[in-house]
Amino acid sequence: MPEKLLQVENLSVSFDGFKALSNVYFSIDPLSIKVLIGPNGAGKSTLCDCIIGKVRAAEGKIIYKAKDISRSPEYKISQAGICRKFQAPGILERLSVYDNLAIASREKRSWQQNLRLNLSKTEKERIEETLELIGLETRRDLQASLLAHGEKQWLEIGMVVSQNPDLLLLDEPTAGMTAQETAKTAELIRKLVEKHTVLVIDHDMTFVELLKAPVTVLHQGQILKEGSMEEVRSDPEVISVYLGRAHEEPMHA
Amino acid sequence: MSHKRLLGFSLAALLFLALFLAPSYLSAFKLSLLGRFLALGILGIGVSLIWGYTGILSLGQGLFFALGGYAVAMHMVLMQVGDKLPGFMARSFKPRITELPWWWQPFESPVFATLMVFLLPALAAAIIALLVFWRRISGVYFALITQALVLAFTTLIVSQQSYTNGFNGLTNFSSIYGFDINSEGGRRGLYLVTVAVLLFVWLLAQWLTRTHFGKVLVAIRDGENRTRFLGYNTTPYKVAIFTLAGVLAGISGAFFTMHAGIISPKDVGIAPSIEMVVWVAIGGRESITGAVLGMVLGNLVADSVSSQFPESWPLLLGFLFVMVGMILPKGLVGLLERFWLHKPEQTKSSSLGSLKSEVSDA
Repeated sequence: MPEKLLQVENLSVSFDGFKALSNVYFSIDPLSIKVLIGPNGAGKSTLCDCIIGKVRAAEGKIIYKAKDISRSPEYKISQAGICRKFQAPGILERLSVYDNLAIASREKRSWQQNLRLNLSKTEKERIEETLELIGLETRRDLQASLLAHGEKQWLEIGMVVSQNPDLLLLDEPTAGMTAQETAKTAELIRKLVEKHTVLVIDHDMTFVELLKAPVTVLHQGQILKEGSMEEVRSDPEVISVYLGRAHEEPMHA
Repeated sequence: MSHKRLLGFSLAALLFLALFLAPSYLSAFKLSLLGRFLALGILGIGVSLIWGYTGILSLGQGLFFALGGYAVAMHMVLMQVGDKLPGFMARSFKPRITELPWWWQPFESPVFATLMVFLLPALAAAIIALLVFWRRISGVYFALITQALVLAFTTLIVSQQSYTNGFNGLTNFSSIYGFDINSEGGRRGLYLVTVAVLLFVWLLAQWLTRTHFGKVLVAIRDGENRTRFLGYNTTPYKVAIFTLAGVLAGISGAFFTMHAGIISPKDVGIAPSIEMVVWVAIGGRESITGAVLGMVLGNLVADSVSSQFPESWPLLLGFLFVMVGMILPKGLVGLLERFWLHKPEQTKSSSLGSLKSEVSDA
């Protein structure tokens, strides 16, 4: 059995008595993509929040690179190499595209070390690489708030990537995107897996299929099924709680 | 962006040139008044750094201003009275003071007093910021805490009549470092030193906001949580910038005291603390130059208007603040930019809007 990059063991979270997650077991292999799907309120975002330290688990462990991180502060988790792209674009609106990436690429993070003007050569190179990866080279000096919606999402993926994380969490990276933008995003994510491990949360089925990755279905705070997209699709239980509803209401909600 | 920066720099260069030449075209009285407002400009730069750049609204800068001002005033009072007790102490009863209190004694040394102008506000600001930001208290709650602290501090000064001359404040002094600041030459010298210090602080702020540190400050303003998830521990950044703003307020208080010849609780309490923030907002809190401009122009207008309508003045001030927040979130400087660069305002956020988001963040 290969060494897992992240292992979630027996994780439970409750908000004022409501169990958002109960006894979740979950793991990711290094340099792979994994997709987390599930109906609204299944606990997908809560699971992500736990991994990055935004929400504290009531019970259970989150083991990352053989260390329990379930009690570490956010910035330490981030420095250990777990980065997340939020559902709503979390770019820094008033800085330029370039400065957004500069903030994300900076190696030194303490205030004393940042009292110098210039970025290092490697930092500059990394920013250029990222600009190319996300296809925003021509937009570098634009204030981030003026980007189109899809571009904002890519910029944020770029910000997450330029921190050179080992584990990347992408929460609904295609929310609100056109079909073309969605396809481009899938392509971008498949490129990322050469260097990073990626966990994608989404409920856009066309997009999930484009990723060609193993899928985990979460339902009411519990893992319902794990397997390939085809397996998950044909599972009667999954169909009844989730996929079956696709015939009644649109998936893209 | 480069147009904007060029505009800012040329505007500032003109202003500073005019300021340095002011002794040749202003009367001694007006020069002293201007010097007092320029001293406040130093505090304004601090407010711009913490509020305009980092998004921390402090309504308690008067506290740090007071620490700097009283430090200098204590020294100057002692220089004036020589070996005797300051008048208010000699006249004091309850408690009756017969010899100089221990914590007054070191202020006989000019070096100690000067050090205290920096150290007292720095220490106070750092401790407050550490306690509050470490607990992740921000937005309106932080503003209220600073407001409460300033109230507590002025109450303390007023209540300790025997030690601080209470509500009357410290006054009747004229020399610092052996210079008589009430003489014509001394006044001019003091004015020029004030402008020089203001210029230095202005350059410091320009440099600071262009470092990566400065960009992180803006990142904290735009999304503190986001910045944390990018791997920055934002607390030390906020503590550092708040401490710097505290020191600037202290320096400002010291110069203000020398120009005004008095420092009293009414110069440092809640009302002046809020007024300082209002002038920065009107000048343009996101611009260092704007903050200075707002502070100087605002006080000049206030000086002539407020004495004519003393009762409706606070109302007028509040009205002005709300209007600027709604119509000109970037203040007068934002207006100039829009006018000269023909660039439409890019953000719809107003002070009220950002206050709202600060509440929802917290």
